[in-house]
Amino acid sequence: MEDKRIGVYICWCGTNIAKTVDVEKVAEEMTGQEHVVISKSYQYMCSDPGQEMIVNDIKEHQLNRIVIAACSPRIHELTFRKMMEKAGLNPYLLEMANIREQVSWVHSDREFATQKAIELVKGAIQKVQFHEALDKRYVNVNEATLVVGGGIAGMTAALNIADAGKQVFLIEQSDLLGGQAAFIDSLFPNMEHASDMIRERIKQIEEHSKIEVFLNTKIEKISGFIGNFETTLNHGIDRKLEFGNIVLATGMKSFIPDDIEEYSYGKLPDVITSVEFEKMLLKGQIKKQNGSEPNHIAIIHCVGSRNKDYHEYCSRTCCSTALKYIHQISTLMPEASIYDIYADMRSFGKGCEELYTSAAKNNVVFLMFDQKNDLPVVRENKGKEAQLIIEFNEKLSGEDVRVPADMVILMVAMEAQEDAKSTSQIFGISVDKNKFYMEKHPKLDPVATTTDGIYVVGGCQSPKGVIDSISQARAATARILASIAQKTVEIEVTTATVTEEICCGCQTCISVCPYSAISFLEDKSVSHVNEVLCKGCGTCASACPTGAIHSKHFSDFQILSQIHGVLSKN
Amino acid sequence: MSYTINTAFKKELTKYGAGNWNECFHCGNCTAICPLTEDGFLFPRKSIRSIQLGLDEKITANIDPWLCYYCGECSETCPRDANPGELMMTLRRYLTAAYDWTGLARKFYTSKIWEFGVMVIFFLIIITLFALFLPPSSQIFSNPAAFINAEGGVMINQMVDGISGEQFMKIIHYGDWVMAAIVAILLVSNIFSMFYKVILRDKSIQIPVTAYFTEFWQLIYNFLVQPKFSKCENKNYWSGHLFLMTGYTIMFIVIVTMLPLFQIEEIKPWYHWQRLLGYYATFGIMYFLIVAAIGRIKKSNIKFKFSHPSDWLFIVMLGLTTISGILVHIFRITGLPLLTYVTYVLHLAILVPMIIIEVPFSKWSHLAYRPFAAYFERLKKAAIRYQLKNEKLITT
Repeated sequence: MEDKRIGVYICWCGTNIAKTVDVEKVAEEMTGQEHVVISKSYQYMCSDPGQEMIVNDIKEHQLNRIVIAACSPRIHELTFRKMMEKAGLNPYLLEMANIREQVSWVHSDREFATQKAIELVKGAIQKVQFHEALDKRYVNVNEATLVVGGGIAGMTAALNIADAGKQVFLIEQSDLLGGQAAFIDSLFPNMEHASDMIRERIKQIEEHSKIEVFLNTKIEKISGFIGNFETTLNHGIDRKLEFGNIVLATGMKSFIPDDIEEYSYGKLPDVITSVEFEKMLLKGQIKKQNGSEPNHIAIIHCVGSRNKDYHEYCSRTCCSTALKYIHQISTLMPEASIYDIYADMRSFGKGCEELYTSAAKNNVVFLMFDQKNDLPVVRENKGKEAQLIIEFNEKLSGEDVRVPADMVILMVAMEAQEDAKSTSQIFGISVDKNKFYMEKHPKLDPVATTTDGIYVVGGCQSPKGVIDSISQARAATARILASIAQKTVEIEVTTATVTEEICCGCQTCISVCPYSAISFLEDKSVSHVNEVLCKGCGTCASACPTGAIHSKHFSDFQILSQIHGVLSKN
Repeated sequence: MSYTINTAFKKELTKYGAGNWNECFHCGNCTAICPLTEDGFLFPRKSIRSIQLGLDEKITANIDPWLCYYCGECSETCPRDANPGELMMTLRRYLTAAYDWTGLARKFYTSKIWEFGVMVIFFLIIITLFALFLPPSSQIFSNPAAFINAEGGVMINQMVDGISGEQFMKIIHYGDWVMAAIVAILLVSNIFSMFYKVILRDKSIQIPVTAYFTEFWQLIYNFLVQPKFSKCENKNYWSGHLFLMTGYTIMFIVIVTMLPLFQIEEIKPWYHWQRLLGYYATFGIMYFLIVAAIGRIKKSNIKFKFSHPSDWLFIVMLGLTTISGILVHIFRITGLPLLTYVTYVLHLAILVPMIIIEVPFSKWSHLAYRPFAAYFERLKKAAIRYQLKNEKLITT
């Protein structure tokens, strides 16, 4: 066996780690450890000079194992693996000790934190000694893409990929394409007709030779992995589809404000939701229940949004939609009084502040309410021309005010689809606490998911309007076309393998594998892991009663050594 | 107390001036920059909010606009160009109309035809009265020298036939009294209307009776000195305004109460106190008029950027009154009886409608509303102090 020469590097992370952990002391402590050739601390290990320092040390001191104590491996393990390659070492001969998320950010006692960091680094030193060099593996990418959801985001993604000459399967649950935007009259901020945009896209999709549309269809099961997914559609006759990437564009739905007592939705006539008002606009007629035109229209913002009792988040599109309504009402009924009752006016984005400025020039009063303590109350105003009255404390004036209204539009929140959770399980991705699909990284990787090859776009990821949905769709398709262009894709190497001599054929591993990666070889009576499907989660290895399953990079021996290192006294 | 939102109010207010009230998003810069801001008196943001919501009842009870002298700092600082200074100006016009129970102030502010028409009618009435009852003596044309006194000036009371100089002066003098009485009755009744809206209707506070007396000096002090104005950043505005105010007040008092002293046949030497007082007043008024007229033409300063028709009418009428007055004086001391008579009649024909319209119904009413607002403000503060003291007594 080669001589083990370990380099240990303790990162300050600016002051993130250094303020609670005595990084210099940790580095010093490691100098004496067995096989440790060099031990250093540095302000930012992930920076170019930090990496260069390690690369130089590897060359100068012939290091063959590296321990880096810094942030979570989720953040920079890939960075440092690339650095290893640059220095001519196998990237898996690296171990990271997380002394930021697990130490400096969660402890305040400096001495204790320093001791804990020392122990974690010792564990890493012990573990890295038994790391094996693993080789990268690649699989071919199927050029077809599955797009789930026929709204504006899904249609855009489908067209984008198909226009590049690649096959698209477009799945839609309902019996028509178009999604939410099909029920919108015109779009803020430029007031173009949504129907024009939708109709044109539907026509293109229907005529496109590279797009196959499946209406009234639901996906029930997906198997495979990036580059090689497959599903079977129960579409009269079973139809098997194979594709390399998936775009999820399953959209969102609107909140029904039954539960908010203050607004009396469903109890008082002419208290309607923004969705219902949009339908009136589509018809070109704003009418009260009794058929007459309203003269005093109140718009209430944040109905079910930004309120702990309903949804804590901002639904993002409602403020600008309300401003759009002010324009539309003013055009259709110039004499009508409009009362815009808001919690905060969030008309962000290109052209939307201008929308606010021009809306304010109409016959409108903007009134601010306190979302936390004092929701406006809609009451009957018997015998008056405006049959409703809205009462609340107006925040900017501090006065209790009464707003006469004969129509109240509730700007309802946007929420995740009813079946978002079960859909996420079908595709093996996560949902956030509001049941919107979780992206891989909110800033650095906003349309990918933690499952390679599956992308989330549009309202299913978080409430958003047409502009953002289309941007996301185009972003996701760029990623997909890039992976198709590369023809192959790198896959996980830290997989599990079965030592057939020890396997007793109990098949416990098959029942616990979440990726259906293990099959049973009848002829040999042993289990077999499909290394392409395997994600290296380690569930089978820990369940195996005989110890026949070996998890690469997380072998029993490696983990026991790590524990030994953490617990060692010296 | 809860107020009903009224969208129609903005439309009504638009007739009284300019303002981009919807532009305001309540950042509070205007309140921060205004030297008059104090605890509980939030210039001018609070007034803007009342406008935006159309709380007309609250606005008519609001004295804030009268405490503002329009230095323009707030409008300079406003990030939204909502022009809070002009909003306060607009509110002053609106309040003048709101206090006026006759409804004429609203007519004059919102209709040029009404304001201009009434001015012209009064102008013609004065001319007609002179033509019918006090026509110039025929000798003015044939023998002008008969009207010249020892100093070479015109004997101003002798220009009408059939009545003595004493009688002529008295007619004018009593005329002044009648005019002053009409104006005073209207103004006082409007001040009472203001008192009702600001103090009596406000049930939230109780003014201690003693405060009416102890704070009374505020009324006089604010009338004479405008201490609020002196708090504004640019002190030139305050001194310029004081120059105009004293000049105008001197002129008014002199004309109404001391006409027999002034309108005499004799021409006093230029350094006589009477003449010096007159010159001071004339210069005071003319200085202000020139600054205001040039400012409004050039729109040089933010406070002059917007001009309501009533602003121009004020400048033009006061200017014509002053110029005709100066001409009377020149023709009189240079011994030109006919021109003295003509300019004298014109002077009165411009002065009378100006006083009758401007003082109770328009811009000049501020000479009363401002000091009263300061007085009412002190009353309200006294009431708050009184309330706090009582609460303390109860709790301890």
